[in-house]
Amino acid sequence: MSSLTRRSLLSKLAFAVPALAEKTENHTLIHVFLRGGADTLNLWVPYADDRYYRLRPSLAIQAPGTAANAAIRLNDRYALHPAMKPLEAAFKEGRLGAVQSVGVDNTSGSHFECQDQMEHGDSMHGTPAGGGWLGRYLRLRAGDNPSPLSAVAIGTALPESLRGAPAVSVLERIEDISIKAPAGKAEAVVSALNAMYGADVTMLGERGVETLDLFRRISTLQHGNDAPAHGAKYPESPFGKGLREIARVIQARLGLQVACIDLGGWDTHFFQGNSSGTQAEQIQLLAHGLAALETDLKDHRANYTIMITTEFGRRVYENASLGTDHGRGFTLMALGDRVKGGQVIGGWPIQADDDVNVNTPGPGGLVMETDYRHVFAEVLHGSLGLTNHEAEQLFPGMIPRKVGLM
Amino acid sequence: MKQARRDLLKSAAWGWSALALTGCDRITTAVNREWLGEGIPERLIPPQDVQIDLDFHLLSRAAFGPWPGDVMQLKKVGRDAWIEEQLHPESIADSACDLRAERFESIYFSAGDAYEFRKPVLRDELTRHSLLRAIYSRRQLFEVMVEFWTDHLNIDLEKGDCIYLKPSDDRDVIRKHALGNFHDLIRASATSPAMLVYLDGKTNMVRKGTHDQPNENYARELMELHTLGVHGGYTQEDVREAARCLSGWTFDAKRVFAFNQSESYFRPDWHDDGEKRILGQSIPKGGGASDLDRLVDIVCQHPSTAAFIALKLCRRFVSPNPPQALVKRVSETFTQTNGDIPSLLRVILKSEEFANSRGQLLKRPFKFMVSALRALAVDTQAEKGLLEPLQRMGHGLFQYPTPDGYPDEELPWMGTLMWRWNFVLALGSNKQLGTKIDIRPLNQALSETKSAPDIDRWFAHLIGRQPSEDELKSLRASAQDIPTTIGLILASPAFQRC
Repeated sequence: MSSLTRRSLLSKLAFAVPALAEKTENHTLIHVFLRGGADTLNLWVPYADDRYYRLRPSLAIQAPGTAANAAIRLNDRYALHPAMKPLEAAFKEGRLGAVQSVGVDNTSGSHFECQDQMEHGDSMHGTPAGGGWLGRYLRLRAGDNPSPLSAVAIGTALPESLRGAPAVSVLERIEDISIKAPAGKAEAVVSALNAMYGADVTMLGERGVETLDLFRRISTLQHGNDAPAHGAKYPESPFGKGLREIARVIQARLGLQVACIDLGGWDTHFFQGNSSGTQAEQIQLLAHGLAALETDLKDHRANYTIMITTEFGRRVYENASLGTDHGRGFTLMALGDRVKGGQVIGGWPIQADDDVNVNTPGPGGLVMETDYRHVFAEVLHGSLGLTNHEAEQLFPGMIPRKVGLM
Repeated sequence: MKQARRDLLKSAAWGWSALALTGCDRITTAVNREWLGEGIPERLIPPQDVQIDLDFHLLSRAAFGPWPGDVMQLKKVGRDAWIEEQLHPESIADSACDLRAERFESIYFSAGDAYEFRKPVLRDELTRHSLLRAIYSRRQLFEVMVEFWTDHLNIDLEKGDCIYLKPSDDRDVIRKHALGNFHDLIRASATSPAMLVYLDGKTNMVRKGTHDQPNENYARELMELHTLGVHGGYTQEDVREAARCLSGWTFDAKRVFAFNQSESYFRPDWHDDGEKRILGQSIPKGGGASDLDRLVDIVCQHPSTAAFIALKLCRRFVSPNPPQALVKRVSETFTQTNGDIPSLLRVILKSEEFANSRGQLLKRPFKFMVSALRALAVDTQAEKGLLEPLQRMGHGLFQYPTPDGYPDEELPWMGTLMWRWNFVLALGSNKQLGTKIDIRPLNQALSETKSAPDIDRWFAHLIGRQPSEDELKSLRASAQDIPTTIGLILASPAFQRC
């Protein structure tokens, strides 16, 4: 083949094969996992319930309007922790929503078991399935010609939820994705790969050229203006930096379908604090980070959905060391254009009667009302188009139920 | 000679027990290189043809690619003799590989006893063991078949307790029967604790005087995936009847007062002992535990099973759409030999269709990685530096979520090029974590003269044929140095296939 015809073939290929990564309808699910069992009762404060104040004499967040550091009123029942201020607007715009009393049916109270069950998408009463729930989902879709960057986990270890995925990148910085050619030889390597894959007329050749294109676009990202868009300011922390990396991948339209990121530090057994203190700092990190991401992605609002979960909530009553112990249900949050926000779905979280026996071990007042899998399935449906049939394969034995979050 | 080798092995074994204590990997490498055949020959003659060399081809399919010198060795003994030797793995000394791969404690544990290990340790040891065997074993066809049956009888470590049970399944089911008889393999798998947990046979019970319905999960996959194939002609009623046959076989690691705590066992009180009818054959009532043997015989002897296994083997060894005539011959051999696995491989590997299929298969990430490591005579203990790239390429062994196993189709692997390229570019430059290659002796062996070998000799060594003009031009245009060139050849489309 003469070099002229090859060149024309190459250019033909470039037009004939729209890089998958450029599909405009591409949507990303950002999965934020609050590790340690977050006390969501102090995030979404049930200020209209006297029992909340009676059982948490030191830890309760003041009712709206009663103090400088009071909770931020959302409606007649709920208020947000003051550190959630950056996300207040999203709730009012109807982009931030929550489901009350979500949980796993594992009663062990073990961080490990409950995280494990949730990340594998299992239930104590069903048939456990293999792999992580997101890994399984991506496998179901593996025939759709996935981007090499269809799944990204921020950090250094593969989260269980992504186990079994067809291709998954664990990274701390987008710079981790580059041609690892010996120093100074990247250009020569790229041009040789371009020539060899360009000359290959099979699917392998196409995907090679696409992959090179992906590298090229990432490298322009790396060398371009690196400041977040619209003056977004991320918190100075691994969490803030990780969110920024996710935003960059979304902005570059690289075919990202699922991004996983963790925020730890929620296991507040002692000195949890209230409107300030240990937990308030974590909440601030979460709210600031997500608000910055929202600003950064202002031009991409239709292209992502954020789901924030934890393995279990904490008990209503505080313990003697001014903390809270492991409970069951928690408040699951979701943020995005496709979320039916501005509401807290589900019943009143505190179901205990007035004389909660604080000496009884166990869930202590917080119930699990909604199976977490129903919410996960609905969020996947709303964000990535999970079908009913796929939902049954993804969560064996689960009968899908409408939650109303998406 | 024989005596001398045995003595050497003995001393190697002695040496190893000392090494195991000190963990001195470097000495292992030295022992292997000097005495146990892991070395690089002084002179390598790379294939000269523009078509992939037939001996190279055989080593790319019936092995995880050639180790330097393998092609020349094969030319010496001839393909038929090589195949025959490979089909009798017990006849091949493998002490160099053993030194590397037999260090992991958990691979010796029985099903019920492995619970004392932490999960990450089990995952790590099992994966490293498989990887090291694939890279270093001289029983290559055996390892290739281990990979094949591991997919065919897939078990995901992440499901339930499987991680504790898979090491013994790998040893007592897959490796024990990889080159044995298909019936024995299926029979062993049916009562393997890992399979009983993975596909819920453990809870398949029909207790007397209850309305228990049997759990059909394993029964269905036994027919759909392990034997007849999805359109193999069984009905939903057959699945149900098979589940009744299987009821009562269970596993419970927490059983007290049990003689064989770590094995699966049969509970007559959970067994549906009535008459069953499967695929037109009847199993009389009162068969008890022997119902299972009857069931395995019936499904393994079904003509659909012969056709299904033949097709699957041809897809793995020949091409994504293998010629029907070959599949038919393999299927007939299956029937004639009652599922003798070596006989099936003989038909495939010696066929004209096999010879004609050169370059038609996409290497899955595991084979891609192992063949690159072998071609460069790598020194590795298969630690994190190798496991992570495999994970990135979606092929982190024993982690496929559904019972159908890692796919043979090309499409699901198409998103992995990025990680393939980076792996081999790093490998060629000796920058891949956990691996060490020594280019110097390879370079020397490939040189015709005193000067460094040309690109085409490296290409032929790695790909098994001479480069095309285009390939050579692309490589020359960006040729920088030997390490980069090696990386580029391994990253090229040609090395993604075999």
